[in-house]
Amino acid sequence: MLSGLAGEAGPYRRLLDELSGLLRAYYRRRCPPGVDAEDLVQETLIAVHTRRATYDPGQPFTAWAYAIARYKLIDALRRGRAHLRAPAEEADALFVPAGADAAMASRDLEKVMADLPARTRELIRDVKITGLSTREAADKHGMSESAVKVAVHRGLKSLGGKYGGAAPDGD
Amino acid sequence: METDELIHSLTGNLAAVRPSAVARRVATGLGLGALASTAVMLGWLGLRPDLAQAISTPMFWMKFGYAALTGLFLAGVLMRLARPAVRPGLLALAAGLPLLLVATMAFYRMASAPPQMHHALLMGHTSQLCPWRILVIGLPLLAGAVWAVRGLAPTRLWLAGLVAGGCAGALGAAIYAFACNETSAPFLAIWYTLGMGLVAAVGAMAGSRLLRWR
Repeated sequence: MLSGLAGEAGPYRRLLDELSGLLRAYYRRRCPPGVDAEDLVQETLIAVHTRRATYDPGQPFTAWAYAIARYKLIDALRRGRAHLRAPAEEADALFVPAGADAAMASRDLEKVMADLPARTRELIRDVKITGLSTREAADKHGMSESAVKVAVHRGLKSLGGKYGGAAPDGD
Repeated sequence: METDELIHSLTGNLAAVRPSAVARRVATGLGLGALASTAVMLGWLGLRPDLAQAISTPMFWMKFGYAALTGLFLAGVLMRLARPAVRPGLLALAAGLPLLLVATMAFYRMASAPPQMHHALLMGHTSQLCPWRILVIGLPLLAGAVWAVRGLAPTRLWLAGLVAGGCAGALGAAIYAFACNETSAPFLAIWYTLGMGLVAAVGAMAGSRLLRWR
């Protein structure tokens, strides 16, 4: 998105391509009867493009794009006089389907995790993303298993506190 | 049209966007609105005849400062609300500080004045007119704010309308300060604030309709 704002067409086009996949999945599930999901995808892409100046580089791109998608959905529902709502809690559902989101999600993740101490960041990456076991991570960093667990838990908790997400299960 | 073609046509001829584009647009809308509001004030009420002496009194600057500062803080909040999924933030609290200060001064002024002066301090001689005048002077500013924000991407329309109205009302009150010859802090705290509140109420009611964008 930053290269898009700077006027570089190549990366910006790839971003819109990825985004259209996400939007398609998002609208296909929520589209009210009588409205073509693809129309909403296109409307949202146009809005993302024409209103790209409202993207704040300090904000996760996906949160910004999702807010526009949600606004467009509510607008479509309102036009159809259907009194439905798109709850904000479904924000994460935008990123579940489609494989194309990996690159975008990791971009956001980098930004979010940048505030954590370096070691905690490493541990979360190893245990929660790379998929090492606690044992393996403990060996890798020369820590005890329980110290790894505590560090990961605290890291996630501070992220949860900061970004208002639900507490991760199984911890 | 196929979505791929759409993306292709959107990204052809891509122009760079300035990071300050949002702030510029809001400032442009409010600036043009302020010009129109000033014209309304001058044509309708005119400057207070004793303005030359008044600008050397602290009371004039308190009136102007209270309204202008509140307006500038709310303009900052409005710039935030013009972006999708951005909360008003701490700036919204800061926007209440000038009112807190004026209310505190009004309270002390009342407490230190003899009871027979209370009515004059509270009501001045234009209390019936002041809020309505601020409403009228604030409307062109509100139009400017609405024009600016609906060209951006607000997603909380009601709240954005409320803040746009509050900002327009406060800046309108700052312009009205050049026409108004009231001199008491309690008057300012009540009637100026009520005038700003009227414009904010109009903004909130009209917001979800006027600020909708496609």
